[in-house]
Amino acid sequence: MEPVRRPAGRPSGWGRWRLLSLVGAVFVSLAGLRVITGQDMLTDAGTINTTLTFAVPIGLAGLGGLWAERAGIINIGLEGMMILGTWFGAYFAWAFDNPWIGLLAGILGGMAGGLLHAVATVTFAVDHIVSGVAINILALGAMRYMSILLYSDVPGAGAAQSPTTPGFPTLGLPFVGEAFGPLADRGWFLVSDLASLVVGLTTRMSALTLVALLMIPLTYLVLWRTAFGLRLRSVGENPDASESLGVRVYSLKYVAVVVSGGLAGMGGVFLALVASNIYQEGQTGGRGFIGLAAMIFGNWRPGGVAMGAGLFGYTDALQLRGGGEAIHALLLLLAAVLLLVAVWQVRKDRKGIAVASVVAGVLLLVWYFTTDSLPRELATYSPHITTLLVLSLASQRLRPPAAIGKQWRASRS
Amino acid sequence: MSSTPSGVETSGPPAVELHGITKRFPGVVANHDIDITVAPGTVHAIVGENGAGKSTLMKTLYGMHRPDEGRILIRGQEVRFHSPSDAIRHGIGMVHQHFMLADNLTVLENVVLGAEREYGIGRRARARIQELSDQYGLGVDPDRLMEDLGVGDRQRVEILKVLYRGAKTIILDEPTAVLVPQEVDELFDNLRELKREGLTVIFISHKLDEVLSVADEITVIRRGTTVATADPGSTTARELATLMVGGELPVPELRESTVTDHVVLSLDGVTVAAPDGRPVVDGVSVDIHKGEIVGIAGVEGNGQSELIAAIMGMRPVASGSIALEGRDITGWSTLKVREAGVGYIPEDRHRHGVLLESPLWENRILGHQTKAPSVRGRWINRAGARADSERIVEEYDVRTPNIDVIADALSGGNQQKFIIGREMSGAPRFLVAAHPTRGVDVGAQSAIWEQLREARAAGLAVLLVSADLDELIGMSDTLHVILRGRLVAQADPTTVTPEQLGSAMTGAGLHGEDGPTEGDSGADGADGADRRENGGGA
Repeated sequence: MEPVRRPAGRPSGWGRWRLLSLVGAVFVSLAGLRVITGQDMLTDAGTINTTLTFAVPIGLAGLGGLWAERAGIINIGLEGMMILGTWFGAYFAWAFDNPWIGLLAGILGGMAGGLLHAVATVTFAVDHIVSGVAINILALGAMRYMSILLYSDVPGAGAAQSPTTPGFPTLGLPFVGEAFGPLADRGWFLVSDLASLVVGLTTRMSALTLVALLMIPLTYLVLWRTAFGLRLRSVGENPDASESLGVRVYSLKYVAVVVSGGLAGMGGVFLALVASNIYQEGQTGGRGFIGLAAMIFGNWRPGGVAMGAGLFGYTDALQLRGGGEAIHALLLLLAAVLLLVAVWQVRKDRKGIAVASVVAGVLLLVWYFTTDSLPRELATYSPHITTLLVLSLASQRLRPPAAIGKQWRASRS
Repeated sequence: MSSTPSGVETSGPPAVELHGITKRFPGVVANHDIDITVAPGTVHAIVGENGAGKSTLMKTLYGMHRPDEGRILIRGQEVRFHSPSDAIRHGIGMVHQHFMLADNLTVLENVVLGAEREYGIGRRARARIQELSDQYGLGVDPDRLMEDLGVGDRQRVEILKVLYRGAKTIILDEPTAVLVPQEVDELFDNLRELKREGLTVIFISHKLDEVLSVADEITVIRRGTTVATADPGSTTARELATLMVGGELPVPELRESTVTDHVVLSLDGVTVAAPDGRPVVDGVSVDIHKGEIVGIAGVEGNGQSELIAAIMGMRPVASGSIALEGRDITGWSTLKVREAGVGYIPEDRHRHGVLLESPLWENRILGHQTKAPSVRGRWINRAGARADSERIVEEYDVRTPNIDVIADALSGGNQQKFIIGREMSGAPRFLVAAHPTRGVDVGAQSAIWEQLREARAAGLAVLLVSADLDELIGMSDTLHVILRGRLVAQADPTTVTPEQLGSAMTGAGLHGEDGPTEGDSGADGADGADRRENGGGA
C-alpha cells in the first residue's frame, strides 16, 4: 500500500489568512494614499459609514447568489427578488408602522420570488437564465401594479413610490465616537485611519446593518459547518453523487433558492428602509447583478462576497461623497497595483501580461498627473467600471460549483 | 489461482441470494430468471459481455430500481428495496463504474455525505475514516481535495464510502475499467483484505483474466440471464469466454493476401512537433498499398495518435510529406482530406466520432456534410441522410430501435459499428482505423473484423493502430513498431508472437530475444497493452 501522502495544497486556514492580509494590505495602502494625495475622504468615518450602507444590499444579494449557486442554481433573478423585498418591506413597514414587520414581509416577498424560481428551474427544468430574467421583469411590473392598486389614494405616494416609511433604530457603542473622534481628525498615517474605521463601524449603525453583517458568518457556519450545508454544497458539485447517497437533491435545491430569495429580499428591505426611507421604482438599480459579480469575485465564498461587496460599496460611497477628486486619487493606487502585477508576472515569466500591465499602469499615472479630477460622468460610473475591471482580473483562478446551471433530473422515474 | 473459498459452507446463510429476478424496460427484457447465490466472505464475480445485463442486475440489488419478478434474500431474509438507502441499511454498498464523487469537496466530505448521522462531519468522522483506512489498508487521507486524487485513490475513497456506511456486502461495477495494471493489482490486494476482514465482494467484470485471479466463484450472464456458475480453480479463460458469448470466440485473421503494388497513401519523413518543439512523430516513412492493412504497434503515447492526427489534417506536419494516390495532401484541412476519400475511425469515439446527444441520422452527416447523400447542393438532405442511416443500420447490424434515437442510447459496440458504416460509405480509398474494437463486446468485435476484411478485399488501404496485439498480428499485412515517434522495426505478422512484439514495443528489439529474461519483459509489455485495450470497456 502506498503511504498516506501529506496534503499537497496549502495548510488549512491559509485561505482565511490570505483574506485577512489582503484586507489589511488594502487598508494600509488606502491610508498611505490618503497621506500622499491629501484626500481625507478616502478613509474618514463618513465614508466608512456610507460604504456600509452601499455594501450591505450588494453583499446580501451576493450571499443570496451564493446560496443558490452552491446548490447549482444560477439565480439571475436576484434583482427581481430585491424589488419584491423593497416593495413589501416598505408597504408593510408603512402599514403597520413597524420596520421589523416590513423586514419580515420583505424577506417573505423575496422568498416568494425564490420559490417561483425554484419551481421553474428545479421542477420544470426551465433554463436558469430564462427563469431569472422572467422574474426580474415580472417583479418590476407586478410591483408597479400593486403600487397603483394600494397607493392610489395615499397622499405623497403613487405608482412609482410609497409613502415615507419608519426606519430601524440605530445602534452605537457609547463613548467610542468621543474617544476616537479626535484621533481620527489628527491625520496621522494609519493611526487616524484606524480610528476612523472604528468610529465608522461602531456608531450610528442601523440595526438591520448588524443583522445583515451577521448573515456572513451565519452563511459560513450553516454551509460549511453543518451536515445540511455539506449536502447543499454537494448538490451543486455533483448531484448524481448526492442522489446515490440518499441526499434529497430537489428539496435542497428548493431550500437553497428560497433562502437565496430571502436574502435578496432582505437586501431590498435595506434599500427601502435604511438606505432611504421610501420605496421607489427602480430603487434596486442593478444591485442584484452587482451582487452576483461580488459573489463571483468572492469565489463563491462568504468572506469573498463580503470583500467584493465592500469594494463595490466603497467605490460607490467615494464617488457619492468625494466625487471626481476622490476617485481620481484612486487612479494612483490602481497604477501602483498594476505595476506590482507587472513585477509579479515577470517573475512568473509571463511577459505579455506584464507588458500590458506596465503600459496600463503608466497610462494611469500620466492620467493622474495631468488631471485633477475625474469627469463627473466617469465618476458616477466608477462602481460599474470597477465591476468590469475586477471581474476580468479576478476571473483567472475562480472555482465555481461544478454542476452550476445544469438541468438535473432524478434518475429514478 | 491462490484464492480459495474460505469457509463457504460453514458461515451461515448466503450473504445475498437472487431468485428468478426479471426486470423489463420498455421494449427490452434486461434480466430474466436470474439465480445467484453469494456465499459470505468471498469474492463473487459476475461476468458477461457488455449489454448482457450485469449492471441492470446490480442496480436491482442496490435498490435503484425494483425487479418486476423474483426475490432478493439478504442473509436468508427476504427484502424489498425501494431506494439505495434501503440497500445500505441492509449492509449492501455499491461502487459505481463512474465514480460518484464531488471534485471540489474533500475526501472527508465526500465520505460522510449522506451519512452525517453516523459520526458527524468533524473530528469523529475523520477519526473513523482514518481507522477504516488503516484497518483495510486503503491509505486514504481524509483532508485532501478530491480533484487532487488519481483514479486509484478515488476508487479507494469510493470503497471507503461504502465501508463507512457499515456495508457487509460490496458491489463493484467494472472496477478495473478505469485502472492501469498496477492499480488493478492494488485493488485486488484491497479486495483480498476486505475478504480477510469477513466482507463479501460482488465483482462485476468482463475481463476474464482478472476475474480468474481474484474471484472465489464466478457466475456467467448471457443475454440477461445466468447461464453457468464456475469455479475459477478448474475453469480456463477460454471456457468462460465461450460461456459468455454462447459460441466460439472470434479470432482476428486475414485470409489470402490482397496486397497490390498500387500505393494509396505514402508518408515520407513525416515529423510532428509537440508544443515545446520536440518531435512526437519523427521521420515516419511508410507506403500503404491498395488492399493492404498496415498495422502500427506501440505502447500508447509513442506518437500513434499524433501520426493519425497529422494524416487527418488535425495537426500540422512539421516536415515531410503525405501523398494520397500521388497527390500531396500535406497541410490540407481535415474536411478536404476526408473529401479526397479518407475514412477515419477515431480512437476516442465520444470525442471525435459521434455526437452523443444527436440522433443517428444526424451523426450520419457528421464528417460527410459536403457529400451526397447527406446534402443536396448547399442544403442538408434529410431524406437522403435518413435513408443512408437506415442502410448502415441494416448492413452493419447496428442494434438500435430506429435511427431517431440519440447515439448515447446505443452500446459502445453499436456506436462503433455505426461509425464504421459511416466511414465506409462513399467508397473511401484509404481508412485510418484507430483502435477499431476498443471497448466493444465480442460479437461486435468479430463483425468489425469481418467488415475490415471485406473492405480490404475490395481494395481499401488501411492504417490500423491498436493496443490489442492479437488484433494487430491477425489483421495486418505489414506490421510496424513505433517507439518514441519512430518506426523502429518491421515485423512479419505471419510469424511474430505477441511476446516478441511486446518486447519490440518497449525498445528491447524484435529479434534474438530467445533468452527467458527478455522473453519475460516482452510478455509484460504485451500484457500491459492487453489490459489497456480491455480498459476501454464501456
